[in-house]
Amino acid sequence: MNPAGQKQENTSDFVFPKSYNFPPFFSPQPTTLTREAQLRKWSIFIQRYCKHHRIFQLTLIETLDTPLFYNATLKKRLSLKDAKAVIDYMVSKEGDERAEWLGSERASAWIWWRKPEEWANLIAAWVDETGQKGTVLTLYELVQGETVEKQEFYGMDMEVLRKSLQTLVKKGKAQVFGAEDQQGVKFF
Amino acid sequence: MFLKKPDLTAGCRPTLSQDETLLVVQDGVGLYEGKYKIASCQKGHAYLTSHRACYVDDADPRANSWAIDLKDVERHEHQPGFLKSSAKITLYPKPIKRGFGSVSKSAVPQSPAFQRVTSASSPSSRSSSPFRPSAVSPADLPVVIGTWVCPICSFSNPVPSNFDPTIATEAFPLPPCLACGIKPPFATVLKAAIAANAKHLPESLPSSGAGSVPDSATGLHQSYDDSNTSDTIPCPRCTFHNYPGMRICEMCSAPLPTPNLLQRVEFEDSLARAGSPGPEISGLTLEEGGDPPSVKFSFRNGGDRIFYDRLKNAMIQRKWLLQNAPPIPRGGVDHPPTPLDMANITPASVSRPVSVGIAGLEQRGLQTRKINETVLGNAFADLEALMASAKDVVALAERFAVESNSGLGFSGPSSDVVLSQSAAALGMVTTKDVLGDSSTSLYISELARNLAEYATDDRRGILRRQGGTMSLVDLWAMFNRSQNGVELVSPTDFRKAAETWEKLGLPVKLRRFKSGLLVVQRRDASDEKTVSQIKVWLNSLRVAEVDETPTWEWATYGFGVTAQQAAARFGWSLGVATEELEMAEERGALCREEGVEGLKFWLNFLLEDE
Repeated sequence: MNPAGQKQENTSDFVFPKSYNFPPFFSPQPTTLTREAQLRKWSIFIQRYCKHHRIFQLTLIETLDTPLFYNATLKKRLSLKDAKAVIDYMVSKEGDERAEWLGSERASAWIWWRKPEEWANLIAAWVDETGQKGTVLTLYELVQGETVEKQEFYGMDMEVLRKSLQTLVKKGKAQVFGAEDQQGVKFF
Repeated sequence: MFLKKPDLTAGCRPTLSQDETLLVVQDGVGLYEGKYKIASCQKGHAYLTSHRACYVDDADPRANSWAIDLKDVERHEHQPGFLKSSAKITLYPKPIKRGFGSVSKSAVPQSPAFQRVTSASSPSSRSSSPFRPSAVSPADLPVVIGTWVCPICSFSNPVPSNFDPTIATEAFPLPPCLACGIKPPFATVLKAAIAANAKHLPESLPSSGAGSVPDSATGLHQSYDDSNTSDTIPCPRCTFHNYPGMRICEMCSAPLPTPNLLQRVEFEDSLARAGSPGPEISGLTLEEGGDPPSVKFSFRNGGDRIFYDRLKNAMIQRKWLLQNAPPIPRGGVDHPPTPLDMANITPASVSRPVSVGIAGLEQRGLQTRKINETVLGNAFADLEALMASAKDVVALAERFAVESNSGLGFSGPSSDVVLSQSAAALGMVTTKDVLGDSSTSLYISELARNLAEYATDDRRGILRRQGGTMSLVDLWAMFNRSQNGVELVSPTDFRKAAETWEKLGLPVKLRRFKSGLLVVQRRDASDEKTVSQIKVWLNSLRVAEVDETPTWEWATYGFGVTAQQAAARFGWSLGVATEELEMAEERGALCREEGVEGLKFWLNFLLEDE
């Protein structure tokens, strides 16, 4: 996988799931079993879409007209209410906590196509591999430095990075210090 | 056979023939043959129609149902309930024309009226007419009439009817003397029989030549004269054998039974006391063993009085005789109200060929209106007349319906069909009137059967045309409309009747959808069947030709269908179609799409993995 290259690619390369062309996909299903299957499909689809476009945070109002929620060929869209319901599902335990609302008004949400712990493990593994344990790295260096260009977490959202590192801190595997803009991290 | 197997309708009621009408229904009825209960027929419904009395078993109606043609019924008897014994109605069959009964009849010719009835009902009863020549051929009908005098008590006994002097042997089981009970020597009886035959033949021949009904009156006297040895009338008081011409006993002056009555009394005695040990009876039972036993209806839930009243009426009316009778003559109906009407009609019909153009048309219209007026006027003159002219009125109503439809250039197919079939519905309707006492549960169960028949009737095909499922309200409306505005069924009763379908094992069932909509379905209908039907249909849409290629992958997903389309496809009403689709959705077979075009249902691909 080449995140750097992929970033520039336009949406046409994204392979939409089959269900995306199935009109009922965009209508909430009243039957429990069908509804669960529908939500699961939406969740997988949103995660794939966000991963492809390296979207970490979704603001629903802004994305309603994007191909994610609007199928131009079918002229079908997911309404704001239904989109919120989908994110709600992703936030819930059944949805594997693949999303997290920002604030209580539920206007935008983190989409965890990789959860903070997973990011943390990825970074820790890279630090371990490159033998940088014990050295202090700036956060900027971690996501924008030349050495990480080939890594998946290159260009990662700073907020997500901080959340990920917090999970490591909790486990006692890293230590974050420094002021707002010049934070550093040290792995043990 | 006296008991016959009736045809049953879908609702497990006896199928009525064309002119037959249902008179009474009563539940909780048991059946007896002779004196004994028929074990398999102890709980059922009794149906009295104008032609038959039927028993339909509750548990196994197809196997244990019996009908008795009223035309085969000789006599009926009502026996009120006493203590633990329920009220019973006994039907006695007409005797089979042989044995004791027939012989005494041939010896004592019947009154003309009686003979006419029997000969009208069955040709075989001819043998009871004084047809003497047959006695010559002994194997055919051994008519041997004579009396033998008992050597012990010198009582004159009749020679047994089945005793044929030409073939009888010593082994013949001779009946004992009626007075002293001692068996006579064979020779005595043989002599008596031969003597009677020798006397009998020459004189009876001429009268038998004119054996038709009108002559029987003269034949009556002749046979009294020549058969004085064979026919004596035993006095009921002192047992003295009187000369047949006597009306009072020569010994004790007691009134004697008339010959005709006598014969019947004797016959009835033989039936009623078949099991008693009297010597004379044992002789009689031997002879009439071939007769079918009487049949008793035992009314454990009451209702016997009304049943018996209607039975009596039916026996008096004898509608079966009228089966092929011409309709009630017009003249009688047309004349009485106003001779003026007739006067008006006649010139009009005469002048019709003359008048042409608009005047002619108008005249014809006027004439038709006059006739209609007469029919309606007579019909509503009083209720009796209405019943009599019911068919006319219905025919008229049908014509009006057709005319009004064609006039508008619009025909409501369903209502039209219903109207035209209303005439057929007239005879077979369960009304509270039919059910004697006002037992509600019986009314409901009969109504349920009636409805089941109505809905599944192949001629009307009401349920079939509705795709096998129709809402209860629709059926109610249709049913009441077919009643021509009389004896309408209340919604409560209708609902209750529908709820008993399942219990009565009828071929339709009531089903409640999730929304609470009540529908009528065939008993064998099931959700699985419906779902698979819908699925097959939707799958077939995937290969269907389309005018304009849709934006989705229709080869995979097919098309979404609306409730209207489903209704059109399966013949459902819209409400039913919606419910059925939602039912299929709930079972995961379908999923929905809400869009500008309304609610559409698709095969459920959401459940499939990518």
